[in-house]
Amino acid sequence: MIYLKTPIQETDISQLQVGDVVSISGYIYTGRDAVLPKIVKLIEQGKLEEYGIDLKGSIIFHTAVSPAGVGPTSSNKFEIESSFPALSKAGVKLHLGKGALSSYTIQSLNENNSVFAVIPPVTALLESLTLEREVVAFPELGMEALHRIKVENYQAIIAVAHGKSIY
Amino acid sequence: MNSDIINKVKQTLVRAGSSFRKDQIEAYEFAIAKEICNNAKWALSQTLENARVACSKCSPLCDDTGIPHLYLEVGPNQVVTGQLIEDIHEGVRQGLRELPGRPMAVKGNDIQRIEQSDGLYEDAAALDAAPLIVRNIQEDEMRLTVLMLGGGPAIRGITQSIFHKHSIHVVVDEIVKRASEGVKKLGCTPCTLAIGVGRSQYEATSMMMEAMVKGNYSIQSELEKEITARVNETNVGPLGLGGGTTVLATFLNVGPQRASGVRIVAIRPCCCFEPRRATVSL
Repeated sequence: MIYLKTPIQETDISQLQVGDVVSISGYIYTGRDAVLPKIVKLIEQGKLEEYGIDLKGSIIFHTAVSPAGVGPTSSNKFEIESSFPALSKAGVKLHLGKGALSSYTIQSLNENNSVFAVIPPVTALLESLTLEREVVAFPELGMEALHRIKVENYQAIIAVAHGKSIY
Repeated sequence: MNSDIINKVKQTLVRAGSSFRKDQIEAYEFAIAKEICNNAKWALSQTLENARVACSKCSPLCDDTGIPHLYLEVGPNQVVTGQLIEDIHEGVRQGLRELPGRPMAVKGNDIQRIEQSDGLYEDAAALDAAPLIVRNIQEDEMRLTVLMLGGGPAIRGITQSIFHKHSIHVVVDEIVKRASEGVKKLGCTPCTLAIGVGRSQYEATSMMMEAMVKGNYSIQSELEKEITARVNETNVGPLGLGGGTTVLATFLNVGPQRASGVRIVAIRPCCCFEPRRATVSL
């Protein structure tokens, strides 16, 4: 087990290999289909700071946040996967979700020294490991708004790293 | 309004969304024992542990708590009234608040709902159940099964015709091909394949729904075993991490067939928690 705490350092990512099981703690962002394209637009417009978003060394978990809990949605949905390059370039070090990614995305992760990890959809287990939840941006999207959550020991498996994929 | 019916439906919905059945637990335990891929074993163990925690807390198995689907079985002397159906729907609403269901009902007119441009309702109970399926049965009772169907399998499900060429092998080959494509994209494997074969899209899908209502991991026909084994040859594995457990079981339901060269086949690659179902006698 490799323990990762946000903000994640470049050297933390360099040592990760496909198949490693990691334990994630700290503050992480959540977002999926509806909000990630909006975050990419904020990056392009240089407006992240206005929203209090700091992506350096961050993790983005592809999930909704609702009273039902959290759990990964498919990361290969068009609006999610197409956000990987811009988010990685802006400092996201670990994308957390599920499902196989395209060779283009695998390459863009490698170019930005970022990785992709798969987390099982274990909502009941994750509930006790999710310590805080707050909406950061686009509250009108409800459960699909950009949230920041504090987590402790989320277990995931590295699925894409350094140009290699587990799929 | 019958509070006894409402309460039973409410509790049944919560049970469907938060628990594994005995045969489902045994299927996981068997899969963990025989799986040789360590990543796969880890993913299977996490899923089973999640089910144990969810069951003990009566909390959701998955954050996509699913769309309620209702299957009503009616015995010879039972009476279905409009009030009974309304009580069932009220039980669904109360169950969604209790579980709690994910607040994911989409607001707006036809176009706004399609574009999801007018936001979501905050109340989990705003989520309408899918149209009720009613079947008559020999036993003199009324039974309701609540199924909670998630979005991932709905994306990867397929209902389409097959030209059978008067051969079961042709049909099974095509089912295996379609199912293999679906499970590769599912993400939340291991899956359970729910398959209905009928004379129209509606009937095939109804047969598939019935397969989810009746399917049992401990009772598998030779055809079901064959489909499971062949799709497992894809080695997609749990969460797509590889290994021999892509499919836990197949629930196949063959309905009446048309005098024709075509069979309509509905396939739903149910996710690792599905079929999330519970049944109650009303």
